Amino acid sequence: MNHSNKSICNYYPLHFIQAVVRTVDVMTYVHESTTGSKGNNVGPGVSQLVFKIVWRQRRGTSIMGEFKVHRVRFFDYMPSAIRTMAFNSQTERLAVARADGAVEIFNFNDNFFQEKVIPGQDGRATEALCWVGHRLFSAGLNGEITEYDLENLRPQYTVDAYGGPIWTISSNSQGTQLAVGCEDGTVKIFAILEERIQFQRNLNRHKGRIISLCWHPSSAQIAAGMTDMITIFDAETGHATRRLLVDRAMGASKNKEVVVWSVGYLSDHTIISGDSAGKVQIWNGLTGTLVRTYLVTKWDVLVLSVSKDESSVIAGTSEGTVIQFQFISSTVDQHDKEWVRTRTFRNHSHDVSALAHTDTAVVSGGMDTQLVVRPLLDKVEKNTQESALRKIAFPHRSLVGCAKKAGLLLFQFPDHLELWKLGESEGHGKPGDRLPVKRKPEKLIELKRKGEDHICCSALSACGGWLAYSTVSSVRLYRIQYNNTISINKVSKLPKELRSVHQLCFSSDSSKLFASSCQSSVIVVAVSQQECRYLHTLKHKTGSRQPVHLLCASDDGKWLATANTDCEIHIYNLHKMKLHCMVPVYNSCPTTIAIHPVTNNLISVHADQQIFEFSLVQKEYTQWSRRLQTQGLLSLWLERDTPITHITFNPKNPDHIILHDTYMFCIIDQSLPFPELNAVLWNQMILKSLPVSQRIGQSHAFKICKSFQHLMCVSLLEDLSLVVVERPLLDIMSQLPAPVRQKKFAT
Amino acid sequence: MAKKQRGKASSSSKTAGIEKPAESFTLSLESSDDEAPEEVTFEDSKAAALRSMKQALDTARREKQLLKEKRRKRQELFQEQKKRRLLSADVLEEIDSASSKKQKQSEDEGEQEEKPEKEEGDGKKKKKKKRSGKLANARNLKGKYTVTTVKERTLASFQQQVAEEFIRSRLYGPGTCRTTNNEMLSLQNKKGWNKSAAVQFVKKDWASKEKAKAEKLKKRWLHKQQLPSC
Repeated sequence: MNHSNKSICNYYPLHFIQAVVRTVDVMTYVHESTTGSKGNNVGPGVSQLVFKIVWRQRRGTSIMGEFKVHRVRFFDYMPSAIRTMAFNSQTERLAVARADGAVEIFNFNDNFFQEKVIPGQDGRATEALCWVGHRLFSAGLNGEITEYDLENLRPQYTVDAYGGPIWTISSNSQGTQLAVGCEDGTVKIFAILEERIQFQRNLNRHKGRIISLCWHPSSAQIAAGMTDMITIFDAETGHATRRLLVDRAMGASKNKEVVVWSVGYLSDHTIISGDSAGKVQIWNGLTGTLVRTYLVTKWDVLVLSVSKDESSVIAGTSEGTVIQFQFISSTVDQHDKEWVRTRTFRNHSHDVSALAHTDTAVVSGGMDTQLVVRPLLDKVEKNTQESALRKIAFPHRSLVGCAKKAGLLLFQFPDHLELWKLGESEGHGKPGDRLPVKRKPEKLIELKRKGEDHICCSALSACGGWLAYSTVSSVRLYRIQYNNTISINKVSKLPKELRSVHQLCFSSDSSKLFASSCQSSVIVVAVSQQECRYLHTLKHKTGSRQPVHLLCASDDGKWLATANTDCEIHIYNLHKMKLHCMVPVYNSCPTTIAIHPVTNNLISVHADQQIFEFSLVQKEYTQWSRRLQTQGLLSLWLERDTPITHITFNPKNPDHIILHDTYMFCIIDQSLPFPELNAVLWNQMILKSLPVSQRIGQSHAFKICKSFQHLMCVSLLEDLSLVVVERPLLDIMSQLPAPVRQKKFAT
Repeated sequence: MAKKQRGKASSSSKTAGIEKPAESFTLSLESSDDEAPEEVTFEDSKAAALRSMKQALDTARREKQLLKEKRRKRQELFQEQKKRRLLSADVLEEIDSASSKKQKQSEDEGEQEEKPEKEEGDGKKKKKKKRSGKLANARNLKGKYTVTTVKERTLASFQQQVAEEFIRSRLYGPGTCRTTNNEMLSLQNKKGWNKSAAVQFVKKDWASKEKAKAEKLKKRWLHKQQLPSC
């Protein structure tokens, strides 16, 4: 859980307990993130020494777990700023477009899980998103309107609007027409047809770019925000019926033109506008007069969003605040309702450039790359899980691949891949020691992608000899050889079945590559020194067309498990090359799956934090899983707000399951009892303070360590050392664009 | 005064101005008010005038002819270049026959027309041919090359750059009162629950790249300082 979140402190008293540092025996090197720092005089920031903490949990006389930990901080993961978002209230999905052109879909029904990610493209520069029914359209500064295929996670087609860069896109309430505002000053109307859109006509052209537009709910008028004014067009004839002139800023910036960044059009013909002078203005669209002005900020009001029932409007500013206006009356009898500024939310440090107003919450995102969901306390019950503030800062999938036998890490960036070799240390130490580093970690390969499409997924084989990545247009496979020097060779002739791949996974003996493709099918290819040969396509029988987002193979090479966004988990028998069975569907989407190397049980963790264990051989849930469901998980476990993204196992101890989310990693010991409902979940500190003989009574199956944050990956190598890849949020924040300068008292 | 002027004028008309500087020199030496003006006959002056007119006409005609020559040469050069640019006759025939059958949108890969250039003996001139959709087809023209349109990216990306520049200048340009992440985070440290120092002191590897660059520059500067001394 996020420790710095003060607003939920009254409900979760336990989170003030100091982070438990008792669990692992750590070998750490904090490495400078630059690669050009070889042989430099390392300043105080870089620690050559390594520290180590021991976690000891005795049961009888055997030591539970003592690990050396590689603490990795050289993954320079940098998320992209959120440019715009759109909420689909029918399906409860939020589509978020980032500055690099990627589109992410979040499922608001399923604990805000990031279901789908459509990778970006160079030059797409998405500026606006729009849902029409189940279809998603986007428009960007490259002048194109793109419709996305959400089943195959790629753009379905693009249509050039021929108006220059497109600033805004909006559909009418019937879903029959799409209006785009272009750089050349025209509003273009497209008809939305079955499988495509078709240009209908232009409205009258105006001087100056159209920055924002909004349809009237009756689809008869369009309000367009431009520079210094708002124009109301008649959608039938295309003529401009009214022009609302927006005042410029007072004072020194009188010469600077005011840009109307966002407009909203209500059914009673009220127009609400947010502009670059920091004003939110309420206009009467019928008479063309200004009703009310609110000066909310010294900087720009970048975005507005109107709630479905038109009683509330939220405005996002460059300061990072979100201001709510509500249509309420000051007296009890509700006759004279007017727009009143009510709440201010300060959840962002940088500009807020995207907003969505759902029925119960305010969703905001901006330059600080975090998605914040703030439930409105008059719509949800206070002090419940529903009313908690949610901040989504990291992706809900793993971007780090680990070659366990070779001690290599693969980092996936949108435009390149990095292969690193972990360092070594010597000696042993007490818990809490930093071990001296004998050999520093080094970057072996940096592989840039070809073409404009961003990397969708990547995989590294366990021996480190094969590397594969895919984009929406192609798949590439490379062979890596580790002689005195590293050599990487591309495998040129790939089978033509390898198209439109969403997930990649190597088998544990590195002889096969599994690739998930359209309609949840899996393509199996054999990789060898000489060639890459197509073997088989595995298909399932449910008819689901949703894409596969999780793929894992068992260590013995017999089983393959896939999970798709319809919450289905399919198991395939690789010796017979056919479907073995399907795990009973649970209504929450799985966030990670893994097959136990010894027992061949499938462990799955879902978006609502439930854990299941399914026996592949017997095709049923295991006893342990049933006991866990009967007992129930502790509420503190269920209320964690980041999903588990990776599961790994301990070769020395088959009872251990190692999982992690962004703020903690946990070792579940299947031989220990589950915690009682009133037990303390994070009990490592307590256990340490007790004498050894008394620990057994207090210990339970969940051993949680919070020393390392924020976690991108936790994995266990073959030599039983733990790899912890951290990306502190402060490192990300230090590389964001400039925030506004706010003058605060006494600073 | 008048004598001097007349003398000057008559002498200059005789010699057509070539010996003018010498003449003026000698005139300035010998001219005086005492001497009688020189006699110039009518025929002489008429002849001189006719000659000068003829010369003027001649020069005009010569210039015109020169211009004509130049123009003719330039035109020939253009013709030649044009001939070189166009495809050779037999290729044109093939294209005509191919396009007369069907007309499709162009979506093929572009190839360079090297054959006619080779015929001209010009070596490798890479010219991307912008053909309209009518000529570009999916089929190979005698297996040697395909024709397609070239994607016009330059104009579109320029407009995109202008639009991005607009956003950047409105949000981050002059007059927007922005500060640095360092300052914002340091203020948070100062006003937070646990007060601490500015973030560049708290976080050990803050701006490590800049520090590394500064170190390199310092070393280079010191090296430069030491060189002239030794």
